[in-house]
Amino acid sequence: MQRITIDPITRLEGHGKIEIFLNEEGDVANTYFQIPELRGFERFCVGRPVEEMPLLTNRICGVCPEAHHMAAAKAADAVYHVDPPPTAKKLRELLYSGFYFTDHTTHFYALAGPDFVMGPDAPVAQRNILGVIHKVGLEIGGKVIQARKYGHHIVEIIGGRKVHPCTSIPGGLTKGITQEQAAEIAEMGRWAIEFAQFSLKLFNDIVLGNKAYVDLILGDVYTHRTYYIGTVDENNKVNFYDGKVSVVDPDGNRIGKYAAHEYTDWIAERVEPWTYLKFPYLKKIGWKGFVDGKDSGVYCATPLSRLNAADGMATPRAQEEYEKFYATLVQEEGERYTSTGKTKVVHARLATHWARLIELLYAAERIVELATDPEIASDKFHAIPTEKPTEGVGIVEAPRGTLTHHYWTDERGVLTRVNLIVGTTNNYAPIQMSTQKAAQSLITKGKVVTEGLLNMIEMAFRAYDPCFGCATHSLPGQMPLEVTIRDAQGESIAVLRQYC
Amino acid sequence: MTEDEGRTTITQDDRLSSLVPHPSSALVIGLGNPILGDDGVGWRVAEEVKQRLRNAECGMQIADCSDQSKIKNPQSEIDIDCVSLGGLGLMERMLGYDHVILIDAMTTGQRPVGSVMRLALEDLPDLSAGHTASAHDTSLPTALQVGRAMGAHLPDRVMVVAVETESAYDFSEALTPPVAVAVPHAADLVIQALRERAFL
Repeated sequence: MQRITIDPITRLEGHGKIEIFLNEEGDVANTYFQIPELRGFERFCVGRPVEEMPLLTNRICGVCPEAHHMAAAKAADAVYHVDPPPTAKKLRELLYSGFYFTDHTTHFYALAGPDFVMGPDAPVAQRNILGVIHKVGLEIGGKVIQARKYGHHIVEIIGGRKVHPCTSIPGGLTKGITQEQAAEIAEMGRWAIEFAQFSLKLFNDIVLGNKAYVDLILGDVYTHRTYYIGTVDENNKVNFYDGKVSVVDPDGNRIGKYAAHEYTDWIAERVEPWTYLKFPYLKKIGWKGFVDGKDSGVYCATPLSRLNAADGMATPRAQEEYEKFYATLVQEEGERYTSTGKTKVVHARLATHWARLIELLYAAERIVELATDPEIASDKFHAIPTEKPTEGVGIVEAPRGTLTHHYWTDERGVLTRVNLIVGTTNNYAPIQMSTQKAAQSLITKGKVVTEGLLNMIEMAFRAYDPCFGCATHSLPGQMPLEVTIRDAQGESIAVLRQYC
Repeated sequence: MTEDEGRTTITQDDRLSSLVPHPSSALVIGLGNPILGDDGVGWRVAEEVKQRLRNAECGMQIADCSDQSKIKNPQSEIDIDCVSLGGLGLMERMLGYDHVILIDAMTTGQRPVGSVMRLALEDLPDLSAGHTASAHDTSLPTALQVGRAMGAHLPDRVMVVAVETESAYDFSEALTPPVAVAVPHAADLVIQALRERAFL
C-alpha cells in the first residue's frame, strides 16, 4: 500500500499531519488528518475560581482569544445563575462584533485572497498576500491595516486590552463606556460598513465575474452534503453572541434548536484510535463514518453553516447580500430557493469565503447598531451574582465555528470539571472528508498529479479556517505543507513541499 | 477620515496617522503563551528585564501601564510588552519603532534545551517565503514586507533573543528547569543589546 504524508507544520498553531493511504489499485483509500492536541487544560483549570476563566481561556488560542473570553464569561454567568443586564450583553456583543470584523478581514485578504485574487493556478511565488497587495493596489492594503486597527481599537475600548480582553466577569463587565467612546465606535463602524461593502464588490468583480472561479466553487471536489449548525436569534437570524443553536439537515430543513445547556442532548463525540482529537457528531442522527448525507451525523459549523442554519441576517445590507448569495448559488446548484429562505442550502465549501464576507458586513452593521443604542453608555453594566454557583454552559459563535464552554464548580465557585468543544473541532470530520475528496481528485490508479495537489488540499482545509493547535509561538517558522509519497512497500519515492 | 456627502472615506493621512514614529524608543517584546509551559519563556525574560530596570539598576524612572511598561529617561524610552501575537499582529505592534528586540522560545532540535541565542530576524529562515505560515496569518518577515510596502514606519532590523525549548503541548504556568535557568542569561543579552544601542 502506498502512503502519502502531508505535514502542515505551522508557526502559530502547533502542527497537524495528513496521511493518505492508497489501495492496491493505486486509488485513495483513506485520508487521515492527525492533530496533536494540547494536553491538560482541564487539569490546569480545576481548583481555580471560575471567574478566572475568561482571562485564562483567552490564552488557549492565539487566533480567537475574544471568542474564548466571551464563551467563558457566558458559562460563568450560567454557573452563578446570573443574567447580565441589557447594557452588559450589548457591550459584549459590540466588542465581539469588532473582533469579528478584524478576524474576517484578515482571513479574506491574507488567506483566502491569494487563492481567488491571484488564482489557484498562479505561480506559488505570486500566490501570497504580497501578490494580492501588488495586484489590488497599496490603497487597499492600507484599508486592510486600517480595518484591523479599528477592530482592535473597539476591543480595547470595551475589553480593556487589544486582542486579549479582560473586562467580562460573571454578571456583566467591570466597566462601561462613555457616550464619547460610543460615538467613536459608531464612527469606526460606519467606515467598517463601507469597507465590508467594498470587499463584497471586490469578491463580486474578481470571483463571481470569472466563470472558472464559479465553476471551482461549485465543483464536486469541494462539495459535501452534510448537516449544518449555527446560532440564531429569536427571529432565526444569524447571531454571533447569543441565541439558540439551529440545526438543519442537508435539504435545508430545520430539525431543531438547542439552548446552551441542552448541547449534550444534541452533540456527541466520536473517538478514533488514530487521533487525540474527538469528532463531534449529531447524537440524534448517529455516527455513520466519514460520509455525506441525511443518515450521517456529520455536521459543519462555519460561516457557510451559520447562513445555512439561519433564515437570514438581522441587518438590512447583510440581508440583501444573503439573498443574493442563495439566489446565485442555489440556482447554480439546481435547487429550489425562495425569498423566505425555506429549503435553501449551499453545500459548496468554497462558498464559505463569500459567506464570511456577508458576515463581515453584518458585523460592521451591528457595530453601528449597538454603538448607537440608547443603553450602550449606561452605568448598569453589571449584576452582582447572589446565587450559589453550580454548573453552567456558555456558547458563542467563534468565527470558525460554534464554541461551547461547560464548567462545573463547588459551592465556592471553584472549578471541579471543565469541558470545551472549540470551533474547529466541530469541523474535524468535514475537513477530513474534504481533504480526502481533494486527494481523490488528483490521485487515480497510482498516478499522482503532483502539480496542484498541495494547492487543492490546502484550499480544501483553508475554507474551514481551521485552528487546531493553540498559541504556540516557538521559532523558527516551519514549513507548513509537506507530502511524502510512499510506494506499496512504504518506501518514500518523492517528497513535495509547499509553503502555503 | 473625511466625510464626503455622508460617506466616510479613508485618506492617505488616515493610513499613516497610525504609524507615528517613536524615533528614540526601543521596544522589547516577550512572545509566547504564558500558560503553555516553555512556550512562555519569552514573557518570563521580558518580565525579568522589566524587573531589573525597575530596580533602578540603570537609574531610570518608570511608568507602568497595564501589562506594558514604559521605562523613561530624558534621552530615550524603552517599552516592554508581553504578547501572544505573530505575523500581522506582531508587525502592527512594531509600528513606529526603530529598534525592536523579540524574545521567544525556539525549537531547532539542534542545540541543548536552555541554550540562549542572539540573532537577527533575517538570520532565521522565513520558510513561508511570502506565504501564510499558518492557516491564520503570515510569517513575521512577510508581515514586515507587507507593512513596508504600504509605507509603514517599521524597524530596519529586528533582533531576536531566543531560548531553545522542546515543543510544548501541555498546559502549565511553569518552565522546565533547563529553560528556567536560561531566563537570567537571556535577560543579560537583552540588557546588553539595549546598552549597545545607547538606551541604557
